[in-house]
Amino acid sequence: MNLRRIRVVAYKEWREIIRDRLFFALAFIVPSLLMLLFGYGLSLDVENIPLAIVDYDQSVTSRDYAHHFTDSRYFSFQGYAQREKDVEKLLIDNSLRAVIVIPPQFGENLRGGRSASVQTWIDGTFPFRALTAKGYVNAMNAAINLDNLATYISGLTGVSEERVRNAAQPVKLETRYLYNQEVKSIWSMAPKLIMVILMLSPPFLTALGVVREKESGAIYNVYSSTLSRGEYLIGKLLPYVGISVVNAFALTAFALLLFGAPFRGDPLFFLLSTILYVICTTGIGLLVSVVVNTQVAAMVGTSIVTVVPAVLYSGMIIPIPSLSATAAVIAHILPGMYYSEIVIGSFLKGVGFTSLWMDMLILALYATVLFTAGFLAFHKRPDR
Amino acid sequence: MSGEKEMNFFINRVWWSRLQAMTWKELLQLLRDPILLVFVLYAFTADIYNAASGVSFQLNNAALVLFDLDRSAASRELAGRFMPPEFRWIGGINHAEQGQTLLDDGKAMAVLDIPPGFGAAMSRGENKAVQLQIDAANSVQGFLMSVDATQIIARYGLEQSAVRLGLDSSAAMDAPAINNATRVWFNQNQNDAWFMGISELLNVVTLFSMLLPAAAMVREKERGTIEQLLVSPLSPLQIMIPKIIAMVAVILGGTALGLFGILVPVFSIPVVGSLFLFFVLSTLYISTLAGIGILIATVTNNMAQAGMMVILILAPMMFLSGAWTPPEAMPALMRLGMYTSPLYYYINASYGILLKGAGFVVLWPMFIGILSIGVLVSVTTIIRFKKQFG
Repeated sequence: MNLRRIRVVAYKEWREIIRDRLFFALAFIVPSLLMLLFGYGLSLDVENIPLAIVDYDQSVTSRDYAHHFTDSRYFSFQGYAQREKDVEKLLIDNSLRAVIVIPPQFGENLRGGRSASVQTWIDGTFPFRALTAKGYVNAMNAAINLDNLATYISGLTGVSEERVRNAAQPVKLETRYLYNQEVKSIWSMAPKLIMVILMLSPPFLTALGVVREKESGAIYNVYSSTLSRGEYLIGKLLPYVGISVVNAFALTAFALLLFGAPFRGDPLFFLLSTILYVICTTGIGLLVSVVVNTQVAAMVGTSIVTVVPAVLYSGMIIPIPSLSATAAVIAHILPGMYYSEIVIGSFLKGVGFTSLWMDMLILALYATVLFTAGFLAFHKRPDR
Repeated sequence: MSGEKEMNFFINRVWWSRLQAMTWKELLQLLRDPILLVFVLYAFTADIYNAASGVSFQLNNAALVLFDLDRSAASRELAGRFMPPEFRWIGGINHAEQGQTLLDDGKAMAVLDIPPGFGAAMSRGENKAVQLQIDAANSVQGFLMSVDATQIIARYGLEQSAVRLGLDSSAAMDAPAINNATRVWFNQNQNDAWFMGISELLNVVTLFSMLLPAAAMVREKERGTIEQLLVSPLSPLQIMIPKIIAMVAVILGGTALGLFGILVPVFSIPVVGSLFLFFVLSTLYISTLAGIGILIATVTNNMAQAGMMVILILAPMMFLSGAWTPPEAMPALMRLGMYTSPLYYYINASYGILLKGAGFVVLWPMFIGILSIGVLVSVTTIIRFKKQFG
């Protein structure tokens, strides 16, 4: 390894990057834009579910029941419908996501001290939303039932409603949300977005680095030079790592200043891990670049290797334990998962080296393995 | 007179045969890149399989820790109600700090804290609170967990109180309770594989529809082979259209492979609507995106620029598609943006056809949406292309 040669390769690559003004600009615009977009646009909160009510009963009781749902911020009430047939079409064309059907004699049954049934239809196209909507409906229904039950029993026995209510709920659940008191998506999302975006953009920057020279034939200059394989690869990688570290700073600033995420951990530890992570993600791009022969293949390959796993398997939306065996294996193969622990630990949990050293070590190993693989796959003697 | 007709016929035939030759050339170029083909095959099969089988938004296997200071029959009974598949006990602890550490390390998602005297309070008919500390760094799972836990505790509570009030279960049935039965339409079991699988297929289609034509065109510019095409008797349209046709054909093939090779046989996705309509829709969509791809190629000069440009356009398109954030939860401005994302129409119409059995009568606005974006893009692309190479 000759540092001077590495510097020369890096400098050459750097000149090439900044002379391509559009590319240079995009290298910084893309990550920041993605951060803004995902930060403001991605909300997994399920609210304003469009709801219609079919009320066959038309009694005071049924309207009262319906009111609980129409007044809720979780549902956006679209109106009453006359018949079930009318709403079926609206469920199909997405104008509605939920329908509550109240049967005739609903009020009569309840007033007579009998139980009554209603039906809730939920559009299951997006299972997560359906699940959440179901949760809302069940919780609201349970609350209404408790009220009704308290009134009913106190009417029968003469005990005060307050006491009945107390007796009906002997166990109270106090829920404490840790790390993110308000359960607001943007908070928990912003730090993870740093992880995802640093997995999306750096590999794309690097992916063409080597294969571009293969395609244009400029690689023969490298083959015939005194450069060693390692020097060439490290030199290639350095400018992209530099750009990506700058981007990492920008993204962190966005998370802290714009999205108001807290930073409770150790900045130095975070910085070091981030550099390691960026070396890993740019390294993935470089490895793809070494393996393929055309730029198109490099682009397609990089997007398959990074984009999908970064979003799905890195714990951003779905926690790792919820993944199936295959997906969990993919999650463990990629660096995003380990860095995810580090970002969340540093931002939300305020833990540092003592509990996260393992993840940092894995990232370091990862970078080494990537480099070794790239080194072995790159030959200065083309056999074809 | 007839000579003129023959001439026209001849010109027409030449036009078509040139188109054919150019389309064949594009296909050959694609076929001769084996690594690229492997990636494409992977994306339409294994990648879709992984996404469909590997991801579940439901609360699944959430790791719980029990901090039981009561150690009574009642506390064990309560803890026992947190059951798989939603929950999974990973053990008990003796100190509050241990729970904190497990949560910090991400080993546990929640700690259930049962205070001393819980069992005694239950048997004396007093009220008692238990605490659930949830790792809400993942807010979606945090929410689902609290909903589930509330229901479990409420059910336990109602049973306790029924015993206290001396009611047996049939008496509780007679109370004026409202039974709300939920019926989930179009995907009764809320099978995440259906949503994830279709969504992944549409995303893969989107990626390739933009990237492949952009690459095919910008490659000619980067290598200079575009000059050869320009001096040939080909018109700009004859250079552009074959690239689009070839890519549409390949991607449609991939779509069919993903649908009939993976989604239908492995995940038994019910194709409720018309397959013909779905493929017409896909053709329209892929052509539109291919147009955007060529447009990208006209404003960029090399693959690196084109690649970054594709992400720049692709990412907003995916996030404005309504698959992640439902339209009803979007702010007004974003919802406006959503109408400019062709993927929004494609996703809506695809789920409509495949899961809901919607026909053209319901979906025509989606077709109009894609078509208008397509026309707009094509006109811009042709103007730019002619200006650049005219």
